[in-house]
Amino acid sequence: MTSAVAAPPVRRGRFWRKVRRHPVGVAAFAVLCLLYLTVIAGPLLYPVSPEATDPLNILAAPGGAHPLGTDELGRDITARLIYGGRISLSVGLLSMLVGLTLGLVVGGTAGYFRGRVEGVLMRLVDVFMAIPSFFLLLVIVTVFGSHPLTIIVTVGLGFWAQMARVVYAEFSSYRGRDFIEAMHSLGASHLRIMVRHILPQVVPQAVVLATLGVGWAILSEAALSYIGLGIQPPLASWGNMLQNAQAYLYVNPMLAIYPGLCIAVAVLVFNLTGNALRDILDPRA
Amino acid sequence: MGVFVFRRLLQGILVLLLVSAFTFFLVNLAPGGPSAAVSLERTAAEREALYRQYGLDKPVAVRYMQWLSGVVRGDLGTSLTQGLPVSGLLWQRLGNTLQLALTALVLTALLGVTLGVVAAVTQNRLPDHLISSVATLGMSVPGFWLGIVSIILFSVKLGWLPSSGVASVGQSFSLLDRAQHLVMPASVLAFTLLPNVVRVARSAMLEVLSSDYVRTAKAKGLPNRAVLLKHTFKNALVPVIAILGLITTVLFSGSVVIESVFSWPGLGRLAIEAANGRDYPVILGVTLVAGTIVVVVNLLVDVLYAAVDPRISYD
Repeated sequence: MTSAVAAPPVRRGRFWRKVRRHPVGVAAFAVLCLLYLTVIAGPLLYPVSPEATDPLNILAAPGGAHPLGTDELGRDITARLIYGGRISLSVGLLSMLVGLTLGLVVGGTAGYFRGRVEGVLMRLVDVFMAIPSFFLLLVIVTVFGSHPLTIIVTVGLGFWAQMARVVYAEFSSYRGRDFIEAMHSLGASHLRIMVRHILPQVVPQAVVLATLGVGWAILSEAALSYIGLGIQPPLASWGNMLQNAQAYLYVNPMLAIYPGLCIAVAVLVFNLTGNALRDILDPRA
Repeated sequence: MGVFVFRRLLQGILVLLLVSAFTFFLVNLAPGGPSAAVSLERTAAEREALYRQYGLDKPVAVRYMQWLSGVVRGDLGTSLTQGLPVSGLLWQRLGNTLQLALTALVLTALLGVTLGVVAAVTQNRLPDHLISSVATLGMSVPGFWLGIVSIILFSVKLGWLPSSGVASVGQSFSLLDRAQHLVMPASVLAFTLLPNVVRVARSAMLEVLSSDYVRTAKAKGLPNRAVLLKHTFKNALVPVIAILGLITTVLFSGSVVIESVFSWPGLGRLAIEAANGRDYPVILGVTLVAGTIVVVVNLLVDVLYAAVDPRISYD
């Protein structure tokens, strides 16, 4: 591992200079903030209920009282996109937090300690890497049902093993280094050494992986909800809106276009932000 | 080499054992497990009879051992909803999934490597930027949505391709008909995997292109074509093979949803049907089969490594 050379802390001036060299990343980050602002403040700006039906205007074309038309029950598409975005974007963010936390704890512990702890934890990671993640999601959702909390934890579980591997590699490269020994002899506890002295070195990589992870989580939630095992109606999510829309492809194909565009844009801005962050934060990339 | 393959085989079996134990205990110990599924709307006596029929009166560890000894003999239990042997159901669907997955894999490999090489050769020029942008876009578009959009375009609007199934109903077998059904799902699946392959192929090519022996080859006046094909490409293949191994995991995850979009009767749809119907033996079986495929492919990749790169030996 070349990471044996600790990364010098990125100084503030240099950080901003690097940021300025990534206009695409900055723009993506701006869109990302805008998306979150829209779904948070959206209901204030557009006070239409996502569950109110308008039986006289079923599958209506865009325009008039419904700017993007209505679905098969006469529900307003714009409102459903905003409320669905709330669900999809928060599931994405929270799932990433679950995966990040698990990955940091397991990877960090396995990397810091040798021997049996390392063996057991890393075999567990191997197992999770060997199961195609979507099958794992199916098993868990079958058993525990489709409560939004379950979905968040499940999607996070599909992501943590990768995070754990990266954190593990980083932590284990600090084993036996002089400053760790010195800390130890000064009486610092394992936890303090791990959190205060090694963890900060992992932050750049973890931030990049986590940003890309949110995009992945949004895609997974959408896929789960699309096949009917994720967020359950009447609650809207971008994924389950697509499930309903597929039945009306011949009548109103636009129903299937909007939610997919929302997902694609959300994931794209997370990926672009993540890529830019990799260039800015990761000294080795 | 033989020793290495044997050791990896043992490791693979260990991982599969852990996967099966993990899923089995997860399924059986959870509050919504099989005992709950067979208890719905039954009297106490009926419940007891069903418990005995499915062996649910025994401890979980005993049931796991029984299930495992069945698996070794090729008996994966009986589907709760269809009453048929799970192994038969899996076998029926496996062929369809493999057909879809292999076609997609071949498409991804050919297209991905070509695009990656083109991007590397034209580094920082227009084709490179174009290919990289499309790759980033491809990573962000949900595969199943791409499937729906292509159905709208090619089936609904243009009427060129059928929107679902493996073959037209009520027609005798025809290769053309099969291919027409296969083309859309396989392309969509391939497109979702493409970005990873393009990226790896590009960076592998770039790394080799900047190496000393390529410079030497150019310096001694070899034509560009010979340098690219004989000196660079072959050596850039090693990481590409690695990513193709990793991709199989993603491939099977992706096929679950894509099969659902195109009503493709494969393992993925079977898994979804089983998940919806809480058909535990089937869920366990599908997971085991998917895990086995991943383990076997990774083993093959390691062996291929050694074949492609003579510096790697496992002894």
